[in-house]
Amino acid sequence: METTVKAVFILNDKRVEAEVSSTMTVLELIRRNFRLTAAKEGCGKGECGACTILLNGEPVNSCLKLAASLHENDRVVTIEGLEKDAVMQAVQNAFVSEGAVQCGFCIPGMTMTSYHLLKNNVNPTPQQIKQALSGNICRCTGYRKIEAAVSKAAENRRLGK
Amino acid sequence: MINIKFYKPTSVEEACELLTQPDHLAIAGGTDMIVKLRNGMFPGARALVDLSALPWRCISVEKERMIIGSGCTMSAVATHQAVREFFPALAKAASSVGAAQIRNAATLGGNIANASPAGDTIPALYSLEAAVMLVGPSGRRSIAIDEFFTGPGRTASKPGELIEGFSLPLRKTRGEFIKLGERRAHAISKINMALSVFNDGQVRYRIAIGSVAPTVLRCKTAEELLEKNSGKLTPEILAQAASLACETARPISDIRSSKSYRKQMAGVLLKRALLAVI
Repeated sequence: METTVKAVFILNDKRVEAEVSSTMTVLELIRRNFRLTAAKEGCGKGECGACTILLNGEPVNSCLKLAASLHENDRVVTIEGLEKDAVMQAVQNAFVSEGAVQCGFCIPGMTMTSYHLLKNNVNPTPQQIKQALSGNICRCTGYRKIEAAVSKAAENRRLGK
Repeated sequence: MINIKFYKPTSVEEACELLTQPDHLAIAGGTDMIVKLRNGMFPGARALVDLSALPWRCISVEKERMIIGSGCTMSAVATHQAVREFFPALAKAASSVGAAQIRNAATLGGNIANASPAGDTIPALYSLEAAVMLVGPSGRRSIAIDEFFTGPGRTASKPGELIEGFSLPLRKTRGEFIKLGERRAHAISKINMALSVFNDGQVRYRIAIGSVAPTVLRCKTAEELLEKNSGKLTPEILAQAASLACETARPISDIRSSKSYRKQMAGVLLKRALLAVI
């Protein structure tokens, strides 16, 4: 039998707690216990970025973060928590309009990382977009359209669309 | 991984005490440890000791040194104003580790404790003559970074000893860090190099090469050559320094690269680094 630990933190603006095993990752916790299934496990070792969430406002690989290591004031934000966020909506709309989605598995990570970029930079250069997305792998290799979608989302935001 | 306990000590004493037990593992950012745990590399582990509640996340500038807490993330190190100003080689090395998601979690202390010959911040700390600040059951001590590593994955720290931070002599340096990987971002180094240049009455060069031996190496022969020629970078001196770097490197062939490529690149990287800082 596994030893359990109590994880207490803020998930999408709500204080939550859960009994977790010592080796359970944040990704496993949000998917299994909270049924927030946007973040995906691709590689399980921090290479692919499909599990990207925001921890205290910064993108991290949720597959490499132990749930038990979360602190009381840690803020975890998943895609589900950004449903009504205008910047996230702009990102998602641009991914659709630019045809950036192929199989879709990497997209939650791609949009989360793009969201973080656009929150901090209203007019990123193509190089900055590539750099920001360098921790997100698309095995359909649809990078050009993904980069175009991020540019488009930024442009739409600037134009107030 | 049955029955692994989890501790999140809030005091240094408690953390050291727990970690005197050989089957207790320290975990900081987790970006290396969790992958290793998953791969079954710690079959005998009975507990994880999470260091994230310890007060080791500050960077402080003192009169003669800068102290960087071991719990600082790579992002924190890479973006810190004083680190960028005084120690560009370290800022660049930290910003080249993994991708943003990794850098937001991985800690400087973890990169050093992990003791990979390919660890990117290690050559940078060598080039800046950093000291590793250890704390353990028998008190505190400091050890020069180039005496800290005893082999791949092995360090001079004793059971229960933890890295609380790094002490770097406070002086303005010019510096460069270059790595070669399979791709430009998010790759483990086939070879990496840090160069720091400072003036203490005379221009000093500090060169460290990673991934070319069981531990990172200083290239003192090239340092001496450059200092003897007071930093004049004629094509001849550049070529000589490069060949000294190649001679210093004693790499092996492995999954990431070959012996001959690494040896040759040691010289190429030194040339590039020198041309970048002049």
